[in-house]
Amino acid sequence: MTDASSSHDAPDPAGTGIDTTVPHSARIWNYWLGGKDNYAVDREAGDQYKEIFPGIAVVARTSRAFLTRAVRYLAGQAGIRQFLDIGTGLPTANNTHEVAQSVAPESRIVYVDNDPLVLAHARALLTSSPAGACDYLDANIRNPADILETAASLLDFKQPIALMLMGIMGHFTDDEAYPIVSALQAGLPSGSYFALYDGANTNEAFNQAQEGYNASGAVPYHLRSPEQFNRLFAGLDLIAPGVVPIVRWRPDPDTEQAEIYSYGGVGRKP
Amino acid sequence: MSTDQRDGGRAGEVQGPTVPRMLVGIQLHRFREAAAVTPDQAAYEIRASRSKISRMENGLVRFKERDVTDLLTLYGITDEQTRSTLVALTRQANTPGWWSKYGDIMADWFEAYLGLETAASVIRTFELQFVHGLFQTEDYARAVTMLGHTSAPADEIERRVSLRLNRQDLLNGPDPPQVWTVIDEGALRRPVGGSAVMRAQLDHLVEVSRLRHVTIQVVPFSRGGHAAAGGSFTVLRFGEPEVPDVVYIEQLTSALYLDKHEDVDHYMEVMNHLSTEALTPADSARFVAGIIRDF
Repeated sequence: MTDASSSHDAPDPAGTGIDTTVPHSARIWNYWLGGKDNYAVDREAGDQYKEIFPGIAVVARTSRAFLTRAVRYLAGQAGIRQFLDIGTGLPTANNTHEVAQSVAPESRIVYVDNDPLVLAHARALLTSSPAGACDYLDANIRNPADILETAASLLDFKQPIALMLMGIMGHFTDDEAYPIVSALQAGLPSGSYFALYDGANTNEAFNQAQEGYNASGAVPYHLRSPEQFNRLFAGLDLIAPGVVPIVRWRPDPDTEQAEIYSYGGVGRKP
Repeated sequence: MSTDQRDGGRAGEVQGPTVPRMLVGIQLHRFREAAAVTPDQAAYEIRASRSKISRMENGLVRFKERDVTDLLTLYGITDEQTRSTLVALTRQANTPGWWSKYGDIMADWFEAYLGLETAASVIRTFELQFVHGLFQTEDYARAVTMLGHTSAPADEIERRVSLRLNRQDLLNGPDPPQVWTVIDEGALRRPVGGSAVMRAQLDHLVEVSRLRHVTIQVVPFSRGGHAAAGGSFTVLRFGEPEVPDVVYIEQLTSALYLDKHEDVDHYMEVMNHLSTEALTPADSARFVAGIIRDF
């Protein structure tokens, strides 16, 4: 649920793109994950959310765990060595490059975000193993052509690439999300992969908490139905078990047996 | 922090006593609050001052094992497991760090900082005057030391320089902290020790910035006034989730350690503004190379 949409019209007296007067999705997410990169306004919003929907801490943990399993699958069985991770978020445990490079040290990761706070943290703390590479792209997902063009100078577009949209498409309505996702998928070479998860609208408390959050001044986030998730994977060969509750996607012995709050999957471009 | 901390006989473990000390402090604070005991009551129980209790709870002093067990009894903590865990942590907290042999030339308030630095997982600093101690060359460190200790004898200067260079072992250890520095252009242009010393220092800065766990960002003059009107400061983060970030601000004869949420939030906000305002790490390395050519 990182902040991938523009918030540049928010109050920002110092002119550095950091606003500590409204809750910030990457910082709240950091709070739910037990991180320390959050401010009072984020902790308050995070606690309010938690009161309505205590499961949010589980959502945060299981989402991270899904990212970890998906990247491990992509770098392992799928043999992917290039990752385009859009909507990076603030650094936490098991960041994409750490997971990928623990499987294949030569993995190359391009982190994309348009939030100055996230980018500054990524450049300083998401640093590559000597055998691989990490690059940081300041770009807005609303302009997929721009992202693909710059990524082409950092990644080899003749080789398959894993496109990752982890918890960010909820920031867009269907009308916005489908064209963005299909433009990004279309720009990738055949044999590339696509991984995504987002929150699902199948739990009433989750829906309610999200409505409250969206009214708080933070960048809104929309929960989707399982059918809507399937549409984001249209035209791809789904990797088993398909687009499913993330706790059921290739679980390992450590996977938390939690309630179903989020859906996700991995697909391969034919 | 009292000077009797240095009388321990055992060799220090790599991490040092600081984090165990903070963990004991945090627990004592929680138990005291839960038992609704005032600092004065707690102080009376162990024949100490109210400020000693506060320093204990902030993890800034060495603990006497008996003080800890007496306080636990006062707070109604009878569970044997909880008590023995805390006693074990107390023992760890009393193990001297590698820096203890420099005790004679080091103020207590700086000794506390070394403990934090050694234990930190992320060190974020803003430097307005000088290159950060972890990145100083020997000649630059000597020049800075002589500025601060004009009347010190030569052998004391050398021990101070040696202490500073020993600190840098942290960067080459097996599990180094992430060191993320924002440095003002002024600190890079001020000719500490002369042009040759500065050129070597700036070369070294570019060199260390290539380390995976080191990030150096420059705030150039052209970026105008920045958020840290107050001056240099450091924010230390620890791997343990229950240990809060600590802000360290050095003054001439003492230092401030802040770990309250509202203080840390404020400094972290300033640090984040500085980091987003500064040149990116890649642009900073090019910028420093440009300054080297000017010397």
